[in-house]
Amino acid sequence: MELALAGNTSTLRKRLRTAALLFMLAWPAAAAVYAFLVLNYDPSLVSLADRLLPPSFAHPLGTDHLGRDVLTRLLLGARQTVGYGLLALIAAVAIGVPLGIWAGFKGGLADRILMRIADAFLSFPDTIVAIVLTGLLGAGLENLLLAILVVKWVSYARLARSTVLTERGKDYVLMARINGLRPGRIMSKHLFPHLIGHVLVLASLDVGKIILLISSLSYIGLGAQPPAPEWGAMLNEARPYFQAQPSLMVYPGLMIVFVVLLMGLLGDYWRDKFDVRKEVRP
Amino acid sequence: MSLLRAQRIHKSYTTGTPVLLDVSFALEKGQCLGLVGESGCGKSTLARCLLGIEHIDDGSLLFEGVPIHGLSERRLRPYRKHIQAVLQNPSAALNPKLTIKDSLLDPYLQFGDQVRLRHFQYANRHDFARQLLEAVELPAALADRYPHELSGGQKQRATIARAISIEPSVIILDEPTASLDVLSQAAVLGLLDRLREQLGIAYLFISHDLAAVHAMSQAIMVMQDGAIVDHFRKEELFDSERHPYTQELVAMFE
Amino acid sequence: MSLLTVNRLSIAGPRQPIVHELSFDIRAGEWFAVVGQSGSGKSVAASAIGQLLPSNLKATGEIRYDGRNLLALSPADMRRIRGRQIAYIFQDYQGAFTPFHTIGRHFDDVQRLHLSLSKDERRQQAESSLVFVGLSEEVYDRYPSQLSGGQLQRAAIAIALLPKPDLLIADEPTTALDSVSSFRVLELLSRLQKESGCAILFITHDWRHVRKYADRIAVMKDGRIVEAGDAQEVLHRPRHPYTELLIQSSPSLSRFNRLSSSEVTS
Repeated sequence: MELALAGNTSTLRKRLRTAALLFMLAWPAAAAVYAFLVLNYDPSLVSLADRLLPPSFAHPLGTDHLGRDVLTRLLLGARQTVGYGLLALIAAVAIGVPLGIWAGFKGGLADRILMRIADAFLSFPDTIVAIVLTGLLGAGLENLLLAILVVKWVSYARLARSTVLTERGKDYVLMARINGLRPGRIMSKHLFPHLIGHVLVLASLDVGKIILLISSLSYIGLGAQPPAPEWGAMLNEARPYFQAQPSLMVYPGLMIVFVVLLMGLLGDYWRDKFDVRKEVRP
Repeated sequence: MSLLRAQRIHKSYTTGTPVLLDVSFALEKGQCLGLVGESGCGKSTLARCLLGIEHIDDGSLLFEGVPIHGLSERRLRPYRKHIQAVLQNPSAALNPKLTIKDSLLDPYLQFGDQVRLRHFQYANRHDFARQLLEAVELPAALADRYPHELSGGQKQRATIARAISIEPSVIILDEPTASLDVLSQAAVLGLLDRLREQLGIAYLFISHDLAAVHAMSQAIMVMQDGAIVDHFRKEELFDSERHPYTQELVAMFE
Repeated sequence: MSLLTVNRLSIAGPRQPIVHELSFDIRAGEWFAVVGQSGSGKSVAASAIGQLLPSNLKATGEIRYDGRNLLALSPADMRRIRGRQIAYIFQDYQGAFTPFHTIGRHFDDVQRLHLSLSKDERRQQAESSLVFVGLSEEVYDRYPSQLSGGQLQRAAIAIALLPKPDLLIADEPTTALDSVSSFRVLELLSRLQKESGCAILFITHDWRHVRKYADRIAVMKDGRIVEAGDAQEVLHRPRHPYTELLIQSSPSLSRFNRLSSSEVTS
């Protein structure tokens, strides 16, 4: 009884989650199609005559304080915020995971050095390190991405290392050695599959955090520079007009919330997908 | 020339008490040599030394007359195609994230181009995996399953299939039935016995179960506190000149 | 004389029945063995005797002991019987000991619950029973992690037998041990049984642990007893094919020898 009930709840939860995922994916997709078919604005085209217009067919979400089309900027902002966020993340994973696997598998001096570096990075909050680094390198999206990369690779290296540490003592790794596999092959064939799930879960949670980081640093002027259509920067630009046109802040804010939530759900989904034991029922 | 020969092997851990004490034996081609002892007597350490997982302190290990002790992992690798292993716990010995087929083909993908298989003739990898599973009396459909979908006995058969896949000259069997239930134990022992006949592979059969060792082996060694205290042919087990410890074991299993 | 009578005992889980109308009796002072594969319901039946079933399993039927139905006893009444008159030892000897208490403390707990002895008497009794099961007195001050599996199981037996129970329920006590330690534990149980006269209900999947010691045997399969009777009778003239299969599968020196040599020649 209890087991059957638990099974039902989890199916229900899964269905709800799939529905939410589809909805959230469908919404920006529809917007993108709409933008492609209907809108054809230059996101940076200033037109002071059209400033702070309310929504209309020509401008579905209205215009901002410089008369630029808000929907166009929001959609292009996705490329900036989400696109660059993903880029930074992929780079962090690509550096962190191999280093972590290698350190965990080899152990010894290399492992100790790597982990001390990681500890040093982890002892400061992400935001602080990112602010300091962009401060040093100069404001701008590229430098911000570099800062994010520097901050984020550490957690992937640690995750990979700890997973490898728990797995490498198991008999199947020993058998792989006895079967003549080279260390590189043991790492890629036998250890890497144990990481994919963990890494994707952490990564999808991290995308949200990175998007928030890009947006907040752009908001305080350290990230994307005007007139780039980045959501955080848009929020910042809309701030003086909050009284007159609150929707200017609401739209980019909602975009950020949506994407962060979406990534959280994606993380959940991936965690289930990469657990090969999911179908076992006692 | 013996297939695998151990000469006066010594090993101790940092605590100082010896784990292996002057261990010598020879394993002949196609023979099953049994090794009996209580848990903690050093028999698993001996297995790990023979497999090059641990190094010996003194003495020598010869494979077909060539010393293989103290070799680096890289230098030892060519010998791994001749010396395979089946371990006690099949659930741990199969990677839970890989299908049975992927685990099964590990040695073949490594050494397939260096060995000439006499027993298996196959069209492609999938066909080979199917034949291996059939050789250990498992349904071919298990190839695409994951380890957790198999019973303990089935998993152990799969690890046996992996060990025989490159037709090695020796398989070290380290308590291969200890984690199985009684019915699977008997079935797996029977399978191992038939495979040895068919493929001409020599076994070092390590177990705490004298009855199983006696049934499987042509010669038996008895280990106590890291030393081999008795070494005899199967027929000599009940002889009166057996070591007292051996006689004690015999009394337990009668 | 029958010590404990199990009458049409059925045990049902949340989804399906596990044990079907089991009936057997245990005579005073005998070694009664229940043999079966894992999942045959033998351990569950043994737990039902001491009301040790998990809460999602329901037992019906009757277990008569000392004129009372054990299934109908209140938990408080059961506690007075369990441990004193009916003692248990389990397969999981590690789980039976609290890792941060010494072996002596475990003795003390049982002694204070069931016996009225002074502090010195308790220690003396514990140490002599440790020696009795082949351990040294020093074990009293050791922690469970400092002992081997065989030693812990011996200590568990010593503790279980302290209150001089009528019946010791041994649920796979040797399964987690290697065969040499197993045989030593079995020898010990057999000796203690002869000396103390307590009956043993011995649950096992390994035929070899039955062959030498059991007086009577019941073979269980899928929640039912498929064959029961005098040990020698069952061993030498098994009537049920499943019993025969179990006997064939458990290697003893003489028997397995014959089995494999016939396989080699054929």
